[in-house]
Amino acid sequence: MLTGLATLLAAAWGVSSTAQPREPVYVGVRVCSECHSGPEAGHQFSTWRLTPHAKAFATLSMEESTEIARLSGIPEAPHTARVCLGCHATAADAEEWERDETFLIEDGIQCETCHGPGSEYMDEEVMRNRELAMERGLKMPSGSTCMVCHGPKGSHEAVLSGEPYDLEKALQTIGHPRPESPPVEASTRSSETEALLGPSQHRFTGAMSCAKCHSGPEMGFQFSKWRMGPHARAYAVLGTPAAREMAKRSGVDGDPQASYACLRCHATGAGHDATSFDPGFDFRDGVQCESCHGAGAEYSLEAVMLDRPAATAAGLKDPGPDMCAACHDQGHAGAPFDYGAAVAKIAHPKTPMTVGATEPVYKTPINLALTPDGSELWVTCEASSSTVVVDTSTQEVLTEIEVGGQPHDVTFHPDGKRAYVTNRLDDTLSVIDVATHKVIATIEVGDEPHGVLLDAPGELIYVLNSSQDSVSVIDAETLQETRRLTTSRVPWSLALSPDGEQIFVTNTLSDFVPPRTPPMSEVTVIDAQRGVVEDRLRIPAANLLQGVAWHPSGEFAIVTLNRTKNLVPMTRLLQGWTITNGVGIVWRDGRVDQVLLDQPDLAFPDAADVILTADGRRALVTSSGSDRVAIVDLEKMLSMLEAATPEERERILPNHLAKSTEFVETFVKTGRSPRGITIAADDKTAYVANTLDDTVTVIDLKRLAAVKEIDLGGPEVISQTRWGEQLFHSADITFRRQFSCHSCHPDGHVDGITYDIEPDGIGTDPVDNRTLRGIFDTAPFKWSGLNPSLQRQCGPRLAVFFTRIEPFTPEELEALELYITTIPRPPNRHRALGAPLTEAQRLGKAVYQRTHTNDGRLIPPTGRCINCHPGPLYTDRQIHDVGTRTPLDSKGEFDTPHLTNIYDSAPYLHDGTAYSLEEIWTRFNTYDQHGVTNDLTKDQLNHLIEYLKTL
Amino acid sequence: MKLYHAEALCMFLGLLPTAALAAETDQPSGEQQAVSDLDLPYVYTDWQQYTVEDGLPNDHIFAVEVDGPWVWIGTEDGLARLDKRTGEIRSWKEEDGLPWRVVSALAVHPDTGEVWMGMFGGGLARFSGGRFDHFHQLNSGLVNDVVYGVCVENENIWAATTAGASRYNTQTGEWTIYTEKNAPMEEIWNYGCSYADGKVYLGVWGSGVLEFDIATEHWKDYLDPDGEMEIDLYRDDGIVHVITTGVSYVEKTLWVTTYFGASRYDGRHWRGYFQKDSGAPSDFHNAVQARSANEAWFSTDKGLGQVADFPTDTWVVYTTDHASNTGQAVITRGDRVLETRTIPPNIPHNYVLWTEIDGDDLWVGTSKGLAHARGEGFFPGLRRASDESSIQESEEQETDRGGL
Repeated sequence: MLTGLATLLAAAWGVSSTAQPREPVYVGVRVCSECHSGPEAGHQFSTWRLTPHAKAFATLSMEESTEIARLSGIPEAPHTARVCLGCHATAADAEEWERDETFLIEDGIQCETCHGPGSEYMDEEVMRNRELAMERGLKMPSGSTCMVCHGPKGSHEAVLSGEPYDLEKALQTIGHPRPESPPVEASTRSSETEALLGPSQHRFTGAMSCAKCHSGPEMGFQFSKWRMGPHARAYAVLGTPAAREMAKRSGVDGDPQASYACLRCHATGAGHDATSFDPGFDFRDGVQCESCHGAGAEYSLEAVMLDRPAATAAGLKDPGPDMCAACHDQGHAGAPFDYGAAVAKIAHPKTPMTVGATEPVYKTPINLALTPDGSELWVTCEASSSTVVVDTSTQEVLTEIEVGGQPHDVTFHPDGKRAYVTNRLDDTLSVIDVATHKVIATIEVGDEPHGVLLDAPGELIYVLNSSQDSVSVIDAETLQETRRLTTSRVPWSLALSPDGEQIFVTNTLSDFVPPRTPPMSEVTVIDAQRGVVEDRLRIPAANLLQGVAWHPSGEFAIVTLNRTKNLVPMTRLLQGWTITNGVGIVWRDGRVDQVLLDQPDLAFPDAADVILTADGRRALVTSSGSDRVAIVDLEKMLSMLEAATPEERERILPNHLAKSTEFVETFVKTGRSPRGITIAADDKTAYVANTLDDTVTVIDLKRLAAVKEIDLGGPEVISQTRWGEQLFHSADITFRRQFSCHSCHPDGHVDGITYDIEPDGIGTDPVDNRTLRGIFDTAPFKWSGLNPSLQRQCGPRLAVFFTRIEPFTPEELEALELYITTIPRPPNRHRALGAPLTEAQRLGKAVYQRTHTNDGRLIPPTGRCINCHPGPLYTDRQIHDVGTRTPLDSKGEFDTPHLTNIYDSAPYLHDGTAYSLEEIWTRFNTYDQHGVTNDLTKDQLNHLIEYLKTL
Repeated sequence: MKLYHAEALCMFLGLLPTAALAAETDQPSGEQQAVSDLDLPYVYTDWQQYTVEDGLPNDHIFAVEVDGPWVWIGTEDGLARLDKRTGEIRSWKEEDGLPWRVVSALAVHPDTGEVWMGMFGGGLARFSGGRFDHFHQLNSGLVNDVVYGVCVENENIWAATTAGASRYNTQTGEWTIYTEKNAPMEEIWNYGCSYADGKVYLGVWGSGVLEFDIATEHWKDYLDPDGEMEIDLYRDDGIVHVITTGVSYVEKTLWVTTYFGASRYDGRHWRGYFQKDSGAPSDFHNAVQARSANEAWFSTDKGLGQVADFPTDTWVVYTTDHASNTGQAVITRGDRVLETRTIPPNIPHNYVLWTEIDGDDLWVGTSKGLAHARGEGFFPGLRRASDESSIQESEEQETDRGGL
């Protein structure tokens, strides 16, 4: 049992007022309760136990929690998700060494969440000296501490009913003052109660011990169900005034928590002596498993538990109505005990629960490729984590292969025997045997892999690590990475030249450019013979380079691109004012031409992929924003280029909206949001992946018309989320379909561009584009913090400043918001939940949480990182002036951005002028307004950066 | 070190002549012959020189690094690349995107071909596919912008800077700084680095040599057992001085240069080299580059020195006399001059800053240009000339070839 545990621990650890202070660790509420319980302490422990805080971890097992997680784009189960646990359990993200063996995460939000890890101040002598205790880590929280977790959260409001959070009321509920004049009476258990029944036949082990196995979805969340029920509160409730009254009426004087008359029904094991309990048993857990199932120390071993007769012999009981009646027939409710209803309420069957999305599982086909013999079409399906195989002769689905999370691209070995699929959620490459359609290997690659291809002899595999700006070059035979090449920002797709000598790689984000400079993108050229980067071609004023394909002559390749005019206010959309869309012609000798596929009255938004016919006559380009494929007559296009002067090629043609009519033969309507496209070797048929229809459009290239849609087997019902996804990717919402949400937020992320949006003067108030991943509960929105909700952000404001036609209808807005919030959050690649920190990360955490400068001066709370960026979202959602205002800004106060996965969303600051995390403090924090950092040494700053990358 | 000094002393006093006699010459393995004055090293006689007149951006050559057909050259005012196939030189200055004019160190990643350069006052840069990526104190975790040396260790790039060493993991983006806080650096002025066989060696001005084991991440320091004395009190008891300027680690042998002599360490035994009692042209060394455990090249202020054969203590020193437009190769053994050969002008200036070994060839950076020595017929170690006449004949042949 835990009696005297705190004292013992304090002695064992050498905690005292004179001991050398050490790094504090979490000890858990049960240690705190050694002193902070009983009438003399105002029943502080019991008060806590009766609050929602004590159930906070257990509530993550509820279906509502799963729905909240889904709405927030959290792919993990809530009880394992960092973001959820950050507000539902103390020290969830702490390292193992920071949690002492007495600490139990299942106890939810415990004392130390608000008061700080207690190992160094728990000693009574230290505790009684408030100043010393605070030096040793004791914190006295304020209302703002509560609001970090209890601030309005759209995700919770969407699922849970109930009153809005009232801080004052909540503080009254959880308030746990010590009485100024504590009553003098027996507290906790007395030897008198212990001796009543003597030793138990079998020893009690305690609910927390049972919880080691009987928890989690595979066990039907049995522990959590108990923890949320009245039995778990049975002991604590005896500390309430009402219980005291009730006890008095029953003839019990003094503390009900010390009376056997009360305890025999309110605490498991009451009346037995100390030898009847295993270490770790805590009678304060109320009516525990063993009240009904019998004292479990002998049957709790798994081998015994699984052998029913043996378990029974060891003390396992089958509870029945009599067992409940023993306490409940003498209950205080007044009404007869309804056994059936009560059992239904506390039932905790060991039925495995599936924790996951309640949404229909769509396919969301992204890319596709034909086997070298053309007999099969393989389609990567992002939402279903699978690759669908279509028989091209029948144009029917043949099979579906389960691969990793969010598969993106597929390619084949030249011999046709193996296929390779990148999985951008898992950071893996699936290797598949084409004949058997079985995954034969899964290898790790870099972060968020996108495009993949093999060199001509099939010796090397090239995988684009989009989140690391690199290419993994992998030996196809050994599947070992041989080297990693550097690209530009967010490499997306790649194509091998017909002679096998060069690989062109498109990079979807612009390079970092000086302020007030148009974007500048890169096509990375890899020498495929040597496997090294040999050139980097500049694509001026372009961004969102995605698809790439070579002309069979090998003289040039075509890339898809946007031309975003981010330096002028979005005062109109007419004549391609904000974004124009087209392709780049990247010549072998390094020259680059750009032409538009837009037309004056209708844009060609979000050009996603391109393929050329084998005869070199045509290029087919998909527009995911307008559900079309453009058929480009390459002869006419090239003739147009050749007829133009150098000046025209450089300045006119890239911006000429009418020119596409000269070389676009026709547009072919497809399904929703076409992305990947491929052509059969005989140039007769093209296949287009319709991402948001779960179909493949078959285009007859003789007729230049769509002739069939292959159903990939997705659900027929269109959920509200799916509808929102369709709206997000459709340019129908903008004037002349100039752009969609996806245009600036590919993959729900950033385009790396700083925009001048509002009509307040050219260049005034530039704003860096922010990610949509994980934004649901981070209101307000906009750098100015003026938009309190996503609906406000994407509603009429969007129409006024962006889209310039009718805004989304309320129903559309609701669906769009639902989709945006559910955009899956990638895992943090620098640290998994609870994983140990590296030395550098740990040192960085200390900097992040520091309260004093290197020379000992106190840092005011407003100067501490953790003040404005507290976990688990790492934003206090307030507006602050951090000294980053420039002459271009009308104001200096900005909404605090959340820092989750911050490493992945450069550039930084409101105007995107910090290209790296370091620059936030080396260049833009001269007066310590963005945290007190100027006293940091260089290695301290490096450590801080390493820690920030783990958030 | 004390244990070793006694052993080394015995060797020096008692065994060296025997060792010299017993040293292997260019004979089939298993056969050992006593070395004689006829056993001589290879002498480079075919030299070509490059200056700004040939297209270099500047004549002060701080670093040279060979990568296949390319010779990368770091100068005081720009980066250059010489194509060995055509002799063409292409340069980059700041107006061409070079982040900083002074390129003080070069390293080419063997897997990716990326050129990493240290810049004196400009930090670190990566040159790949024509693009310069700049890493400096403000935008990265680099400890200091005054970079003296750079080397590639797997996926990490090491920068030896004036305020410590930085290690940059190119895959995770993590920067680690090593200074006196976490490494046995008595001084933090890092001059050079070298990586091979799982160990990184840092040459630290004022802190000798530091060895970093990448598997264990443990440091080991090599300091002068004589303290900070400018003389070597006990011979071969350790590194000769702590003002270290260069390190080269090859075949598990560490070669070290300082401003007060040079050293060689094979893991057990040290060997110190001074001008007064060896073939070294000077005690003031700028850099060292080793080809093997038995051969190293020393860039000094008074010429280019080579330990041509370690077991026999055979040196060759190259200098050029511009007044007479002649060159000289002096062959020594121990403290004896075996031969002084007149050869064509070799290094463009006797103040040598860097030597790069390119197969059998050499590239030498000096304060007045770059030299290329073609090593046709190169052999390591020693080879016996049949008699004096054979030696004379081969000298005449070399002179006829003209050298340049």
